[in-house]
Amino acid sequence: MFGKKNRKPLGLYIHIPFCKSKCDYCDFCSFVPNNKGVVEHYTDALILQMEDWSSRCRNYSVDSVYIGGGTPTYLDIRRIARIIDAAYSNFKIEKNAEFTIECNPATADYEYFKKLRRLGVNRLSIGCQSTHANELKALGRIHSFEQFKACFEDAREAGFDNISVDLMYGIPEQTEQSFIETLTAIASLGPEHISLYALKIEDNTPFAAMRDKLVLPDEEAEYSMYSHAVEYLATRGYERYEISNFCRDGAASLHNLKYWHCDDYLGLGAGAHSYFEDERFSTTRVVRDYIDGLEIIGSDINIVASSEKIDSAECMDEYVMLGMRLAEGIVVADFEKRFNTSFAEKYGYRFDEYLEEGFIIKDETGYRFSSKGMFVSNYILSDVLELGE
Amino acid sequence: MANNKKIRNFSIIAHIDHGKSTLADRLLEETGAVAKRDMEEQVLDNMDLERERGITIKARAVRLDYKADSGDDYIFKLIDTPGHVDFNYEVSSSLNACEGALLVVDATQGIEAQTLANAYLAVDAGLEIVPVINKIDLPSADVDRCRNEIEDIIGIPAEDCPAVSAKVGLNIHDVLEAVVRDIPNPEGDADAPLRALIFDSYYDSYLGVVVYIRIIDGTLRTGDKIKLMSTGAVFEVTAVGSMEAFGLKPRGELSVGEVGYLTASIKNISDTRVGDTVTLAENPASEALPGFKAVQPMVFAGIYPEDGARYEDLREALLKLQLNDAALTFEPETSTALGFGFRCGFLGLLHMEIIEERLEREFNLDLITTAPSVIYEVKTKDGELRRIDNPTDYPQPDDIDVAYEPIVKASIITPQEYVGALMDLCQDRRGIFKDMKYLDNIRVELHYELPLNEIIYNFFDALKSRSRGYASLDYEMYEYRASKLCRLDILLNAEQVDALSFIVHEEKAYARARKIAERLKDNIPRQLFEIPIQAAIGSRIIARETVKALRKDVLAKCYGGDITRKKKLLEKQKEGKKKMRKLGSVQVSPEAFMAVLKLGDDN
Repeated sequence: MFGKKNRKPLGLYIHIPFCKSKCDYCDFCSFVPNNKGVVEHYTDALILQMEDWSSRCRNYSVDSVYIGGGTPTYLDIRRIARIIDAAYSNFKIEKNAEFTIECNPATADYEYFKKLRRLGVNRLSIGCQSTHANELKALGRIHSFEQFKACFEDAREAGFDNISVDLMYGIPEQTEQSFIETLTAIASLGPEHISLYALKIEDNTPFAAMRDKLVLPDEEAEYSMYSHAVEYLATRGYERYEISNFCRDGAASLHNLKYWHCDDYLGLGAGAHSYFEDERFSTTRVVRDYIDGLEIIGSDINIVASSEKIDSAECMDEYVMLGMRLAEGIVVADFEKRFNTSFAEKYGYRFDEYLEEGFIIKDETGYRFSSKGMFVSNYILSDVLELGE
Repeated sequence: MANNKKIRNFSIIAHIDHGKSTLADRLLEETGAVAKRDMEEQVLDNMDLERERGITIKARAVRLDYKADSGDDYIFKLIDTPGHVDFNYEVSSSLNACEGALLVVDATQGIEAQTLANAYLAVDAGLEIVPVINKIDLPSADVDRCRNEIEDIIGIPAEDCPAVSAKVGLNIHDVLEAVVRDIPNPEGDADAPLRALIFDSYYDSYLGVVVYIRIIDGTLRTGDKIKLMSTGAVFEVTAVGSMEAFGLKPRGELSVGEVGYLTASIKNISDTRVGDTVTLAENPASEALPGFKAVQPMVFAGIYPEDGARYEDLREALLKLQLNDAALTFEPETSTALGFGFRCGFLGLLHMEIIEERLEREFNLDLITTAPSVIYEVKTKDGELRRIDNPTDYPQPDDIDVAYEPIVKASIITPQEYVGALMDLCQDRRGIFKDMKYLDNIRVELHYELPLNEIIYNFFDALKSRSRGYASLDYEMYEYRASKLCRLDILLNAEQVDALSFIVHEEKAYARARKIAERLKDNIPRQLFEIPIQAAIGSRIIARETVKALRKDVLAKCYGGDITRKKKLLEKQKEGKKKMRKLGSVQVSPEAFMAVLKLGDDN
């Protein structure tokens, strides 16, 4: 009924909640499985969930797939292949779609990467976080920088020409100097993309329990680490296109841009989030419930953990909240086209008081944060957005 | 008509926590005023706040019917009174309605400061005192020591006084017989024109003002036209009766010697004043009863609604509380920082806390309260003597000739091992040592002259923490004394915040200024610009701190597209900002005001 041209774009996110070891700061939906059975069942359940969604997504054309975790490469290649095959058979995935998989050092080797490439995976996101042994240890990570480098080189060898590296700042024992060293070492490897996240201590993590004992860089140090990263990476050809994301040669993550642009994405797997047909919803983080809910016929377990219809006022708030994360900010013409509402009347005037102090930059296309504004964006956004006021 | 030979009007007085309310509960139960199954703890304390804190704030009156061992029927009117020093005025007004008082003494603690103070109030009011030794079920009870103390310290015979356990209900009957035997019946002239003393009142939205009275002379009936002698206002009585454990019971008339209530469709809260005399409009008494000593508030603070739109609600609430709390005073004031509110006068810090809590709970108000102050007297250079209850009105240093501050006589009773620590405390609070005496081989009574403004500055908490809760404090106003006082102003971002000004002795100014500046720094949320905090005397800055500009307030990662979580975070942040007050260009949370108010020196 729809020709290919008429299909709407969709991002597909697939969550693999397994890890070899859980990092002390992590509050993602991930755990160390105690038997192979759960991994097998989970894979089955994931495929069942794809089948459930298959028909509802007939009119969508998937232009980005992102397999995240956890550590997706914790699964052996046979299971990953089953999942990817099922994705191809249940969704219309475009030929040149961005296809990312996350991986941690020492979980995948050259052979593994080679096979991933053959399965159509064309982008890799590797968790490095730091190049310093003491910092990696403080984070509770189980790999060394040497293992990361080996992993990176294997991936290159296997033909990955679009690699992203995750780094963190504000981690225990980190100094401005050690952070500069991390940046330098990574930039020298020349990945196409770098994600730079600030450590945030989340409730119910081992870090939260030992908060008082952690030696963390203070806010000033974090600010200067971040500012330095923005400056330094620019000299190495990386532009910051989003608060935490840098890329060279236009290799921005298409998948992440869907989040910032309020575009549709479907999240599959335990703990996954979706924005689909004006609704935000999430799937249970309880892996047992996820598996039983899908596998047991007639199960009364509801695998939907939360869902919320987003009306147009809320959608506008979200659009601004997320769009302002991007370096390009809000393009007024795009906003007005999408919502048929004057941006100036709705939000523009509220941004004005921040113009003078240089937190916000306004030009002929729209509004965006300055570098210092970006770093206090929550403060400003909580003031500017309506958020049901 | 009740035979007044068979009436006993009495109060129960005690040191806080000696078991007064529990004994009252037991008397109610023993006389059948409350069935055992309806018994809940502290029946007479019917404010939630009273039950929670285990203290009595308002006096309560209740009628008990008792058949004595002699076979005669008696009517008891029991008036439960507060135990805390702040509420002495409640005690004294209640005592004036009685002929006798049960003085409850904890058998494990003996006589405490408030036992004495209350005993003296009762003696002053001409009451017969019947000691009751309580808590004899506890292993550490020492009944003999208690009897000796009562005889030695208070000077009343205690040989045969009842020794009971109100908690387990032991020997309660002895108390009832002692009431019959030892407390005199009321006297008064049944044929003289009506004179009834108002000892309490409260507002009921259905009945109007309910007035608690004690008939001194004459008789009062439903339908009578009454006149309030202080104002001359006339009302028609819609009901008279007695207070029962679970409410008011109309009885048609109250005769000489009786304690009861009247309602007369009194709408205006300010019409009934505790201490006033009620007489009949058509046959008035020639002379009013001696009223109570007007209570003088000693501690003042500004109370503001957090939400400025609720100013009127706050006014209504204060009016209602004032009706049965004669000691509460208030008048409107305006603060540039806090908007419209009231300068309220209280008897002490506990009284202030109780009022705040009642306003918040019973009237559902969110409040901001300024630091408490006392009344200072200032002689200006042009010879005028001014009374200052609001730091904002304090003259500039150059205009002051002499300043005077109120001094109290304080008596502290403490186990001897804490004497050193408490003397240090008093010394530190500019106290002048008067004397010290041993009450027995354990307890010591210290006498000091202390500036009242030191007492309202967390003195009580410091006293308790330095004596592990054992020491007790009582104080009375003594005199005004010349003192080197100054007004400390707080400036945020170079703008003075009137609500944070307070008056302090010069010697204390620096330390206090530093502490407040620090506290504010910790409690003012960081904003996009740097905020200097300064404490100044006149134009001299004596302490400064800086709230650094917010550098980082950003959520770095949106977990796998979890937008809802980020949005919730911003919503919460926005909610928090709504509670802030904008002082000039600075956002200040109510907590910042609280932090300054609750400033202690021991923490």
